[in-house]
Amino acid sequence: MKRILLAILGAVAVAMALLSPAFAQSKGKVYYMVPTLLDEFQTGSVSALEMFMGQVGYEMQTLNADNKTDVQQSQMNDVIALKPAAIILAAVDFNALKPSIEAARAAGIPVIQFDRQITSTASDFTSVAGTIEIGQVAAEEVQRLLTEKNGAVKGKVLQVLGDPGDPYTLDIQQGFEEVMKDFPDVTIISLPAMMWEASNAGTIVSDQLLANPDIDLIFLHAAHLSVAAVASLEAAGRQPGDIYVMSSNGAPVGLELIRKGWLQVEVEQPLYAQAAAVAMFMDKVVNKEEIKPGEYDVLGLKSVVTIEAWGPNIKIPGAAITKENVDNPAFWGNLQPPTDQVKPVE
Amino acid sequence: MTPRNRAMLEFVLDNLVWFMLLAVLIIFSVSVPNYFQVGIFANIVEQSSFVGVMAIGLALVIIAGHMDLSVESVAALSAMVTGILFCGAGIGMGIVLDPPWLMIPVSLLIALAAGAAIGTINGFLIVKVKMNAFIVTLAAFIWVRGLVVALSGGRSAQDLAPAIRVIGIQRIGYIPLVAWIAIACFVIFSLIMAKTPFGRHLLMIGGNQAAAFRAGIKVDKILIIAFVLAGAIAGLSGWLLAIRTSGATANLGVGMLFNAFAAVVIGGVSLKGGVGALPGVYAGVLLLSAINTAINLMGLPPHFTQMIHGGLVLAAVLLDTFKHSIRQKLA
Repeated sequence: MKRILLAILGAVAVAMALLSPAFAQSKGKVYYMVPTLLDEFQTGSVSALEMFMGQVGYEMQTLNADNKTDVQQSQMNDVIALKPAAIILAAVDFNALKPSIEAARAAGIPVIQFDRQITSTASDFTSVAGTIEIGQVAAEEVQRLLTEKNGAVKGKVLQVLGDPGDPYTLDIQQGFEEVMKDFPDVTIISLPAMMWEASNAGTIVSDQLLANPDIDLIFLHAAHLSVAAVASLEAAGRQPGDIYVMSSNGAPVGLELIRKGWLQVEVEQPLYAQAAAVAMFMDKVVNKEEIKPGEYDVLGLKSVVTIEAWGPNIKIPGAAITKENVDNPAFWGNLQPPTDQVKPVE
Repeated sequence: MTPRNRAMLEFVLDNLVWFMLLAVLIIFSVSVPNYFQVGIFANIVEQSSFVGVMAIGLALVIIAGHMDLSVESVAALSAMVTGILFCGAGIGMGIVLDPPWLMIPVSLLIALAAGAAIGTINGFLIVKVKMNAFIVTLAAFIWVRGLVVALSGGRSAQDLAPAIRVIGIQRIGYIPLVAWIAIACFVIFSLIMAKTPFGRHLLMIGGNQAAAFRAGIKVDKILIIAFVLAGAIAGLSGWLLAIRTSGATANLGVGMLFNAFAAVVIGGVSLKGGVGALPGVYAGVLLLSAINTAINLMGLPPHFTQMIHGGLVLAAVLLDTFKHSIRQKLA
C-alpha cells in the first residue's frame, strides 16, 4: 500500500514539474464566464477563446453558469477573489451582472464583454457581432427571400424566438421587427420556444402549419431550433423549399440543413473573429493601455473599434450563409479553426 | 340526494380530468381561431406523447410513495445516445444496420437500457442504501444532464436514420406512430396497475409501506422495479423525442419534468402516494397539451405565455382540489 501511495505521489510530483514551466511562460490567467454549455455556439466559444488566448500567451479557465444569473454572479465574486489577469464575460443577464462588473473593475481586474454587449456600465473591451444587427441582417434576407417567392416583400413569416426571458433573443427580435415594420404587407407571427428547447420549436411549427398553412417563411433564432422545425415540416409532408426556413447563429447543424436544401439562410455570428478580437486586444486590456478607434483586420474581416460610453467596442460583421457560400471555412459552423496565429495589437 | 344523482356525481368526480379536458377543448374550439380541426387535435395527441410517456414512469414512483426528479435528464440521455449512434450529421456516428428496420428495435433497446441503468442506480441508492429519493433523483437530474453535455461536448446530433425517423412521420388514422406508442404505453401500464399483483402492491406500498411489508409484500424488490421502470420509460420518452426532432441537442427535454409533474397531479395522483390511476394522468397530459396548443395559436405576446400556462395549470389543480372537498362532503 505504501509503495502504491509513493508511486502516486511521485507521478503527481512529476506532472506538477512538467506543468510548472507552462505556468511560468503564461502572461496570466484569464477567466471566461460562459452563460451555458447547452448550445453549440457557446461550446464553440470556449474552444475558440482557449485556442486564441493560448496563442497570445494567456491561460484560460472557463466557468459555466448554466444560464442562471445568480450562479454567474457568485462565480464573478469567486473569480474577483482570485485576482486573475482579466475576466471575459458573456453575461446571462445583461443588467443583473452590472454590479459584478463594477466590483471586478474596482478591484483592478479588467472585464471584457464577449458576444453580449452591456451598455449600462463601463467595460474594458467589448467584442460583439451585435445581436440587434443579426436581427437586421435576418430582416434583409427575409426581404430577399419573400421577393424571390412572392414577387414583392409580402407574405406571412413565422418567427420562432428562443426563451422570452433571454435578452439575446429579444434583441434579435427587436432588430428584425424594426426593419420589417417598413413592410406592412408582411405578417409576422412571433412565438417563443421556451428554454430554447428544440421540441418546443417543433410543436410551434406543427401547430402553425395547420393554423396558418399559407406561411411563406420560418425564421428561428437558433440553428438547433431549425432542426426540430425541419423535422416537423418533414412530418407534415413538406419538401425542402416549400416553406423557406432561416435561422441565426451559424451552428454546424444549420449549415448541414442548408446543404440538404431545407434551410435557405443562416445568419452567422462570427464566432472565431469575435474570439480572435479578444485575444488581439488582451495585452492592451491587461496592461491598461489605450485602445485606439479605427478599422482592424480580424481574421480577414474588416472590424471597427469605436470608443463608446461603455468603453472600447469592436463590432464584427455577421454574414448571411446561403447555399452558395456554405462551404467557406471561415464560418465557424464548418468547424475548421483558422490556422493563422493571432498576434496582439501593437 | 337520490342514489342515482349520487352515482352520477361520483362518476363525474372520478373522471373530472376528462370532463375538464372536454370543456377546455370545447372552449378553445369556439374561441380560438383555427383550433377546431382534426389536424390540431392530432397535434395535441402527438405533442402529449413525450411528456405523457415520461409521466407514466413518474406516476409509478409517486404512487409507490417516492419521487423521481431524474426522468427529464434520463430522457435527454437516451435521446443523445440514440442520436450519437444513429444520426448521420453533427456528432452522429451514422451507424447503419442491415436490414435497416433492425435499427428500430436496436435503438429502442439501447435507449431503454440507458434509462433502466440510471433507474437501477437510483433504486439501489434509495432502497438499499436508504438515501432520500428526493435528493438521489435530484442529484441524478443534475449529473445525468451533465453526462449528456459531456457526451455531446455541447454539440448536437442531427439527421436521424430514415429507418427510425419513419416512426415520427408515418400516421395511422391521422395520429402519428409516436402518439400510438404513447397510447399503447398508457393502456399497457394502466392494465398492469389495475390487473396485476405488481400494480396492486405498488398502490399498497404507497399507501402504507410498513403495512405492505407486514402483509408479506416484497417492498424493496417492488420499489427497485418501480425505479428501473421509471428510468426505462423515461428512456423510451427520450427515444421518441429523438425521433420527433430527428436528433438530439444537449438541452433537449429541458422543462419537461415540471409538465410531467403537473400532468401527474392534475391526473389525480396523490403526491403522498397510494392514490392514482394512469388514465387520469393521460388526460392530464392531453389537457396541458391542449392548453399549449391554444397558446401557440392565440398569437399572444411571447412574454405572457409562461404566465398563462402556469395560471391555467393552477386552475386545473384548483378544480381537482374542489373535487376532493366535494368527495369528502359526500362521504
